[in-house]
Amino acid sequence: MINENLVNNVVAEPYKYGFVTDIETEKISKGLDEGVIRLISQKKEEPKYLLDFRLNAFKKWQKMQEPDWANLGYKKIDYQDIIYYSAPKQKEKVSSLDEVDPKLLETFDKLGIPLTEQKRLTNVAVDAVFDSVSIATTYKEQLAEHGVIFCSISEAVKEHPELIEKYLGSVVPASDNYFAALNSAVFSDGSFVYIPKDVKCPMDLSSYFRINSGDSGQFERTLIIAEESSSVSYLEGCTAPMFDTNTLHAAVVELIALDNASIKYSTVQNWYAGNENGVGGIFNFVTKRGKCLGKKSKISWSQVETGSAITWKYPSCLLIGEESVGEFYSVALTNNLQKADTGTKMIHIGAKTKSTIVSKGISAGQSNNSYRGLVKMGSKANGSRNYSQCDSMLIGDQASANTFPYINSQQPNSEVEHEASTCRISEDQLFYLQSRGIEFEEAVSMMVSGFCRDVFNQLPMEFAAEADKLLALKLEGSVG
Amino acid sequence: MHILDYITKEKVNLLTRSSKIQDFCTSKLRAHPLPKKQNETWRLANKKKLSALLAYEFDIKSSDPDIPPYLSNKKAINIWIGNTNQLNLKEKNWEIKELKSQEIDDLIEEKLKSSNTEENWSNLLNLSLSSEKNILGIKISGDNLPPLQIFCSSKSNYFNSKTLILFIDKNTKANILQVNSGAKNSSLSLSTYIFLEEKSKVNHGVISSGNDKSNILNSLNIKQNANTDYNLGSIQFQYDFARFEIDVNQIEGNAKTKIKGMQVSNNDEQNGTFSKVEFNGPNGYLDQLNKSLANDKSHSIFDGSIIVPKTAQKTDASQLSRNLLLSNTAKIDTKPQLEIIADDVKCKHGATISELNKDELFYMRSRGLTFAEASKLQLKSYYQEIIDSIPVLEQRIEFLDHLLN
Repeated sequence: MINENLVNNVVAEPYKYGFVTDIETEKISKGLDEGVIRLISQKKEEPKYLLDFRLNAFKKWQKMQEPDWANLGYKKIDYQDIIYYSAPKQKEKVSSLDEVDPKLLETFDKLGIPLTEQKRLTNVAVDAVFDSVSIATTYKEQLAEHGVIFCSISEAVKEHPELIEKYLGSVVPASDNYFAALNSAVFSDGSFVYIPKDVKCPMDLSSYFRINSGDSGQFERTLIIAEESSSVSYLEGCTAPMFDTNTLHAAVVELIALDNASIKYSTVQNWYAGNENGVGGIFNFVTKRGKCLGKKSKISWSQVETGSAITWKYPSCLLIGEESVGEFYSVALTNNLQKADTGTKMIHIGAKTKSTIVSKGISAGQSNNSYRGLVKMGSKANGSRNYSQCDSMLIGDQASANTFPYINSQQPNSEVEHEASTCRISEDQLFYLQSRGIEFEEAVSMMVSGFCRDVFNQLPMEFAAEADKLLALKLEGSVG
Repeated sequence: MHILDYITKEKVNLLTRSSKIQDFCTSKLRAHPLPKKQNETWRLANKKKLSALLAYEFDIKSSDPDIPPYLSNKKAINIWIGNTNQLNLKEKNWEIKELKSQEIDDLIEEKLKSSNTEENWSNLLNLSLSSEKNILGIKISGDNLPPLQIFCSSKSNYFNSKTLILFIDKNTKANILQVNSGAKNSSLSLSTYIFLEEKSKVNHGVISSGNDKSNILNSLNIKQNANTDYNLGSIQFQYDFARFEIDVNQIEGNAKTKIKGMQVSNNDEQNGTFSKVEFNGPNGYLDQLNKSLANDKSHSIFDGSIIVPKTAQKTDASQLSRNLLLSNTAKIDTKPQLEIIADDVKCKHGATISELNKDELFYMRSRGLTFAEASKLQLKSYYQEIIDSIPVLEQRIEFLDHLLN
């Protein structure tokens, strides 16, 4: 018999990123109306087309209703009780990292994301976003030598308006869904990446999102454009302090891959998940979508979701170009009272397109973990293929694991395969490992890591090791 | 006249019997006459076709066609819902007895009152309209029962509504085949309720065959007690709009359910199966296979959910949805779902959508078969698995030929 408490202890590691940085911030007052949007736009000195984009999105958002189809159930969000802009106070614009408030650098240092020159992660360029604004972007010059543009989206608005105007909202239109419309109206910052033709980005790019204030929402927007025959690997990490209140995070990520281009987007999401009684935590409503516009283009999403009180996230691929490829590898772990409704959408539009979905869900505590995915074969997707696999692992008899795959095909000459299974940490396997002298907790974490292997293999090196550790920590105390 | 007018304009009592249950159903429908389109199981329903299904005059009489040759079975007892007088048969080892109105109400009351309007819409509509004559309730007990064939049909240019209640007594083993036939331009609403008492076993077949522009709303509600076996083999074809709802509830677990179903759609038909299997106790077993075939401009839907709450430890459930898409103007939607809380369970599901296997076709053609022959042979094997699981049916080859032609 597995010792219940022991397994429960394996998941109960306190959230180590829960500290608050005491820094003077500039906040606007709570609430959302046209005035607030104009104010945000004005603060960011935006051109008129962007203000129009925001106002248009706001109008659409006002007419929309918050979706309730997800298997989540959370207390109603009061959208007038949120601060839509919060930025650490800095002297004007900083030209180098030395001018960034040391407290901010210290924060990112504590999170394991060193921004200062001497401590920088080797070969990973980082864009650090703190509440509503981007603090610093490293390795910009080196990247620029290759023609790669990596900067905050506010900077891109000023310096590369033609790209922003052309691509912003082209993958996720403002009216796409409730949270995307909200984001389009109030987005504050985020990262912008442009990889020119024939360039293989010399280093991994990364953005790190940090929510610091308890009453402000974070609405960032990421836009990645990969021109013909280029490639890039992008990593995203996120943390937040522990508050008793729920903080809203509604992000939009847009990826565009042209002919033969490839984008790999990896996320380790570790927002604060609330305490064991479900108090506090981030409400994470994210719209991520990639457009494989060009022939033989490829977009690959890999994600490890361990945080947030509520996760509502479906990174998707629109496979438009002939022979384009979409991939989705995901591990979603929920514990205590966390709720996650996550999955993907693979929309096959072009001929000979291929997609692979591998989703692993681990539910512990009294959490609720749902996979929701759509595979659609359009009538022109001749010769296309999809393979989906969704496995769930249940830890304890209080958690729930649900699978809702939507499969729609209009093309006879295409194949769709879906399979799903559930399992638990088997006593036999635990007994075997323990009889070989492996500690109980290590045995559990080995089995969880084995369960997630297919996904971890897809993560970039830095992330794979981190993800493995993160899962072990998160699961501490939950197997029983 | 629109069929809902009979309910909303309170004319229904003129046509049918009046009971508390029926009043309950009618009042529910008066409040919400049509299922909401936001509801997941009604989301894909073709609104035009659903309105066409309801746009008929209502009649309590139906035209009962002759039994087709492929269904002739000399040993079977044949029963027509709405056209059988006094069904009380008793032999040494078995007994078939008609249930009284009150007994029927007591049995179905819980089901009708427990679930929400959308999930139960077909049943609510059915009972609001079924007249006393068209509600057949029988209690079956004993062993070595002869096979039963229960016929149900609709009449051209009319909407017919029929209800069947089968109470399967303890230790009873029964083989039952339900044959539903739709006449040209007609609609049929059929709700079947089967109650399996302890240690009983039912092999159940449902053959629903339509005709030009016929529609069917077929709802099957199964309640299984402990140590019961329920096997279903079903096939549904040639309906302009067909909706088969299967709701199985293993109320104490410890029961076995096997479902093998198939739906065939041609022209611009919409044919859907919506199944929900709920395990409310430990050691439940489910083996479900749903096949569909979509041709021309048709739309085929499968929505299957398996619900395993905390009490249902050691459940072993599997569900497979296999779909053949034969035309590039046809459409298939499939959604096998799992909702699991109990941790010590084996649950899996799978879904595939493809066309006929090219390698197999090539192999057969290299052996001298024409493309048409090879395709037909492959289709035959696709059908065969389902037809084999339909009980009572003796003329399987003739039936298969009928389907393929």
